[in-house]
Order: sequence, then C-alpha cells, then structure tokens
Amino acid sequence: MPPLVEARGLTKRFPGVTALRDVSFDLRPGEIHALCGENGAGKSTLIKLLAGIHPHGSYEGELRVAGAEARFHGVRDAETAGIAVITQELALVDGLSVAENIFLGRLPRRGARVDWLETHRRATALLADFGLDVSPEAEAGTLGIGRKQLVEIIRALDKHSRVLVLDEPTAALTEREVDVLLEHLRRLRAQGTACIYISHRLDEVFAIADRVTVLRDGASVATLPRAEATAASVIRHMVGREITDQYPRRAPASTGPVLLAVNGLHVAGPDGKTALQDISLEVRAGEVLGIGGLMGAGRTELLLHLYGVWGTRTAGSVQLRDNAYPNPDPRESIARGLVLATEDRRRHGLVLGESVGFNLSLPSLRRFTRAAGRIDQAAEHAENQRMFHALRVKAPGLEARTAGLSGGNQQKVVLGKALMTAPKVVMLDEPTRGIDVGAKLEIYELINRLTCDGLAVLLVSSELPELMGLSDRIVMLAGGRVGGVFERREFSQEALLAAAMSRANAGM
Amino acid sequence: MKNPARLQTLAMPLALIGICIFFALRESAFIGPRNLTQLLVEFSITGTLALGMFMILLTGQIDLSVGSGVGLIGGLAAVLATQQAWPAPLALVAGTLVAVILWALMGALIVRHRIPAFIITLGGLLVFKGLFWLVIQNSTVPVTRGDQDNLYSLLTTYYLPAPAGLVLAAGVLGVLGLAGWRSRSARITHGLPVAAPGTLALRWIAAAGGTLGLVLVCNQFRGLPLPLVILAATAGGVFFLTRHTPFGRHLYAIGGNEEAAVLSGIPVPRVLITAYVLMGVAVALTGFMTTAYSGASTTTVGDLMELDAIAACVIGGTALRGGRGTVFGVLAGTLIMAALLNGMTLLAVAPEAKFIARGVVLALAVWMDVRLGGGHARA
Repeated sequence: MPPLVEARGLTKRFPGVTALRDVSFDLRPGEIHALCGENGAGKSTLIKLLAGIHPHGSYEGELRVAGAEARFHGVRDAETAGIAVITQELALVDGLSVAENIFLGRLPRRGARVDWLETHRRATALLADFGLDVSPEAEAGTLGIGRKQLVEIIRALDKHSRVLVLDEPTAALTEREVDVLLEHLRRLRAQGTACIYISHRLDEVFAIADRVTVLRDGASVATLPRAEATAASVIRHMVGREITDQYPRRAPASTGPVLLAVNGLHVAGPDGKTALQDISLEVRAGEVLGIGGLMGAGRTELLLHLYGVWGTRTAGSVQLRDNAYPNPDPRESIARGLVLATEDRRRHGLVLGESVGFNLSLPSLRRFTRAAGRIDQAAEHAENQRMFHALRVKAPGLEARTAGLSGGNQQKVVLGKALMTAPKVVMLDEPTRGIDVGAKLEIYELINRLTCDGLAVLLVSSELPELMGLSDRIVMLAGGRVGGVFERREFSQEALLAAAMSRANAGM
Repeated sequence: MKNPARLQTLAMPLALIGICIFFALRESAFIGPRNLTQLLVEFSITGTLALGMFMILLTGQIDLSVGSGVGLIGGLAAVLATQQAWPAPLALVAGTLVAVILWALMGALIVRHRIPAFIITLGGLLVFKGLFWLVIQNSTVPVTRGDQDNLYSLLTTYYLPAPAGLVLAAGVLGVLGLAGWRSRSARITHGLPVAAPGTLALRWIAAAGGTLGLVLVCNQFRGLPLPLVILAATAGGVFFLTRHTPFGRHLYAIGGNEEAAVLSGIPVPRVLITAYVLMGVAVALTGFMTTAYSGASTTTVGDLMELDAIAACVIGGTALRGGRGTVFGVLAGTLIMAALLNGMTLLAVAPEAKFIARGVVLALAVWMDVRLGGGHARA
C-alpha cells in the first residue's frame, strides 16, 4: 500500500529565503504523524503546500497523494484529493448555524431552493455520529473554540477527506477539550483517517502520534517512531545549530541602575481571559534582556501591554525608571522614555503612503513645535537627516515614500522613529524578521551602540541563536508565564527550548 | 501610482477650463463681472464648508450632517438677530458657539463610544434638520430687520472698495512670493531638490495674473466680495494647520494608518474631536454666509450642501479613505462644483437635471478616487 501523502525533495523558495529545502515526508493510511519544529522551521510552508495554497510549479520536488503525483493549483484541488487543513483561525462563519457551516457551499437543494429539512437531518446525524451534543440550528458563534474545531472536522470528513491536517489545534483549548479532541482523533484513526498533527506541546504529541518528523531551518532532519521519540531527542533535533560570531554582542563594561522592573504582572486580554500570568523581570541600563518563547507564548502581548496598547492589568506592578507606571498609554510611555518598535512594520509601524521624514518624526513632533503650534521644519529636517544617516537608510532621501522601501530599510525607519523620541528603554519586537543579512548586522550593531549609550533594550526574537547571541539575559515565556530565566553563561538552545515548552508542566 | 496622480492634477484644471468654455459659449454672461462675482460668492460659501470637511476626510472619517447644520446655525443666528433683537455680532458668536458644542458632542460620540461617523452624522442630518425647522418655525426669517444693514447681512452684501481689493491682492501675492522663495532657499540649505527659479517665477506670475485679473473683474462690478476674503482667511488657516502643525501631521497619520498613529503616541481621540469642532466652526461660517446670501433663513437653506462639500474634496484629490489631500486641491474641486452649479442656474437648467448632474459628478469623483489610488494604504 503506497503512502497516503508523500513528499519527495520539496524545496520552496521565497525572495531572499528558502523556506523548505529538500523536505521528504510521508503519511501512511490510518496514521497520526506529528510535525515538530521551532517557529520558522518550515511547518506552515509545508502545510500550505499540501493545502494547495502554494500551487504546483511554485516549488521544486514532488508531492504524491495515494501514489499519484498531485498538482494542486488551489485549495479546491487539495480538497478534491481529500486533504483538509484546519488552521488556528477557524474557517467557520459565526453568524450561520452549525448545519449551514457544515454544508457551506454545498447545501442540499431541492430545485432552486435549499432543502432545509434534509440539511438539518443530515447535520443531526453527523453530529450524533461524533457524539457532539450541539443543535444543528445553534449559531456557530455561540460555540466554544473546542466545539468549533470539532464542527470543522465534521465538515472536513463529510467532504470525504482522507487526510486531516491540524495546525496547533490545542493552542486555545482547555485541558478537558484537548482530551476530547485527542479521543476523536484516535477514533478517526481507527476508522482509517490519517492525520498530520502540528503542536508545540510535546506531551500531547507523544500521547497521540505514531511517528514524529522534526523540521529545522526548512529541512526534515529526522523522522522518529513513537518508541524512539522522547522530549530530549526531539528537542535535540529541533535545535542542533551552531552559534557563530554573526551576533556581535558587546556588552558595556558595567551596567547601570534598573530602568524597568516588572513584578508579578497578570494581564487579561481583550477577550477577558488571563493572557499573561505572574510575569516578573527587570532590565538595567546597558543591558539587553532577551524575551523568547514559542508562537503564542505572549511575547508580543507583553511588550504591547507594557507600552500601553494591549490588555488590562489585573495584578502586579511595573516600575519605569523608579516610578510606578500603573496606567500605561503610548503617549505617556514615550514621554517617560519607553518606546516600542513593532513587529508588523507595514501594519503597525509605518504610514506607508507618507515619506520617510514624515514617519521618522511622527512620534516626536512635540520637540519641534514652536510658538503658535508651528513645526520648525528646519530643525525637524536636520534631526531627520541625522537619523537617516546614522541608520544608513538606503532610500533616495527623506521625501521617498516608505511604501517603496525594502523590508530592511522600512525596519530602519521604524527603529529611527523609536530612537528619535530619545528613549531610555527600547522594546524591539522581532527587529530582524524578514530582512536581509546585511541589514541584520547593522541592526545588531545598533543594539550594541544603544546599550553602550546607557539604554536598556528588551528584545523579542523567534530565532534562538539571535536571541542568545544578542542578549545578556533571557526570559523564556511559555503559555503566558515565565518558563525560565537564563544568565548568559547558562544559555543553551536545549535548555531554552525546554523552558519554552514547559507549558504543559506549568499545568495551564 | 505616480502617473495617475499626475493625471488627476492635470485633469482638474482641464475640467475647469472645459466647463467655463462650455458655459461661456452657451451664455456669454457667464464670464461677465456680475456673474463671476456671484460665482465667487457661491464658491466661497461651498469652499469654506469643504475646507472643514477636508480635515474630517483626511482622518478617514465623514460628516453627513453639515448641510442641515448650515441651515440650523444660520437660522438660529437669524432668529436671534431679528426676532430676539440681539445685536448681529452677538447672534453670530452665539451661533458659532452652538455649532462648536454640537460638533464636539458628535465627535465625542463617534470617538469615545466608537459609533461609526456615518451613522452619527446621518442622525445629525435628521436631528439638525428638525431643530432647524423648529427654530425658524417653518417660516422665513430675514437676517436683518427692514432694510437696515447689520453685520449679518453685510457678510454677503459688502464689497471691498476697488483700491482696498488691489492692496489686499498685492499683499497676498507678496506674502506668497516671499514664502515660496524662503521655502525654496530653506530646501536648498538642506540639500533637497527644488524647482528651477524660472519655474517658480512662472508659477508666481501665473498666480499674480490670476489674482489681479480676478480683482480687476470684481472691481468692474462692485469690488471683492467679503465671502472671498473669509474663504481666503479660512484656506490660509487650514493650510497652516495641515502643513505646519503637529495637529495636521496627526490628521494625515490617522487617515494613513490609524494603528501606527496610536503606537506613535498620537492622541487619536483628541485629534478627531478637534477635527469635528473645526468642522463645526466651518459649518457656522458657511451657515451665516449662505443664509445671508439668500437674505433670509428658509427651510431649504443648506440642503445637500454636505454632498457638495464632499464632492469638492474628492474631486480635488482628497482620498475618502483618508491620509491624502491638499488645500489647493479642495479649492480647485470646489471651483469646479461651483462653476457647474452656477452655469446650470444661469442657463436655467431644470432643477431635475441639476440634481442628476450633481449626482453624476459626485459618483464620477468617487470613481476617480477609487481608480486613482484612494486605497493607497494597500499599495
């Protein structure tokens, strides 16, 4: 019997990055096969290939489904071939009923009109089959995430999917919901449905997977049968990268006073659920504090909250330059010397339709405002020009529109914007994501310069080697809590990753 | 991106010239001093309102209530000045205060309670219309008693004496020239690209020719109409605000990328409410002028002016999504709208056809906005 899905030598390149290199992978009928890897190891890209989102021809290598070569040109082709992908962003329409969602796009018809009786009869039968105690007429939006996920699985199975791809299905589930989901998956496996299961929670992976494939830097480095898969072996395969001297951290000889101290911070997200729990950390003048963690660990949320744009503080305190800072707000943060350079620069960082100069001075206009509220454009220009040269932004000039710059240069403008406010504490969220090596090095140098000037830096990065190379200390977050704190001499990829995956042990 | 934008800057003067030639050929009185003066008054009235709307649109918001507001505020001042016998200046100040309060209230509702501007100002359109008719008791309220002049009636009946108009024009041209030259030398000091001196001089000569021609034509009738002076002052103020103050930068930033604006520490709620308050001031000025122009407040004053103001902005290159637009564009767009309406009135075009023409122009303007990159944020 041929494998249900087989990937041979898949390579997928994006401009400037190779997301997958020579990946081989196979999925047998009736198997649950887990994919593990750090952020950016290539899991999402592989799934997108399987789902037809990256169409045939945009990659090299061969993808075979049930023995025959698959040439997907879109999501529909993948669905026809029996592959259903269920992502974290569930694809249910909240305003429609459960039954309508199950049959979305193919509601049973009688003539020109929808056969509602048949729709509900069949939906009831499917829900009963699954042991799901939900009315087919219930609005999908009223279900919890766990039940929504099961409705999506029912929909996928009713489309005769043979392969379920679950991307981080348990990230938002409670312990109990996780058990229910895993139980259903085992039952489906017994019935012959195969499943590709992606999760950061290793205990879950070992509880359900028949085999585990580890991806690292876009390559498939090992496929382990369950018997051989242990936390230690999987983590060893996930890291195993050399740290070279491409991260030239030069810490100043001595550090100064504590500039930012966070004590027992609890934060509720916009949905009212606790998102950050009992976070404590401090950073001194001249220090780089690295903040690591897997996707969804709460790194970005922590920075956004400290800056004053995310979540509600339910407990704990923040001291900024020796003053309590109970009600953060961006304007106030900037005034107090705390600044944030955001991760998604196109969405949050820049006014793309405007010029480099416009963006650079936007948060610091107060400094250039003279009598009658007039902006001293000469002074503003001089300061913009200084920052433009200091950061070596490669653009025709201050009047160039930011939309036309490369990622690295846009990032420099975002950093320049932050630095022009004359901050004391700089929070950098993924400052090197998606930019080329040369620009990365310049940003590393810049971070060194900042700490030498007595600034404190909070650095969030998904790349462990970068985090280890640049930080003086690292706080690993796991599931919204501190998973571990490491001094520079204690840095090792294994230890950091184990701390990042400690969520299950923390008993969420 | 660049070419279509250039196309738009070229399309505007061409459209304006085309419209003028068309009407002048059909009715030579169109370019006579009397009609041109009238056209300028109408231009000034719509332009003042459009300049207020411009700042709202820059942020990506909208205000549909301004037409009713124009009627209400003008009517209120008329009632105070005649029926209540308040001194006219006091009536005008009171009307302005009421407008400021009403628009601050709408702005607060939109910003603090996150109700879409479209709905709040649509509500405002109806509420203000109702209040308006209550205030004037569905009747006609003249802006002055008998045929005495007061400050209110003088708003559109006063003309600057010929020499004063010339002196004013010369002054404005002097300031413009000086400002242009100073900005050019400043750009040179900072190593920025500048236009050749010849181009700059040519531009100034064109502006000077236009301005002086305007004054001379007006002087053939009665002189520069006061509304034009009010518009010029408003335009100068809005230009200063949008180009030279943090408030103006913030308007562009909010319209261009509101999330980035918040993260840059811009007090978005305060900026938006301020924009609405300024809109209120523009509504009051427009209300006084348009009511004075009709001689009295009647139930139809201000009807549909919100659409004329929005159309003027959009024709002039202001993006409905926010973040793009200039004062000069708004003035040019207003001139096109005003010339169109004035010409049709002069040719005694049926009101039915006028409505249709206005609607078509509005739709065309928005179509151009969408086609020519009103969605620049997605570029």
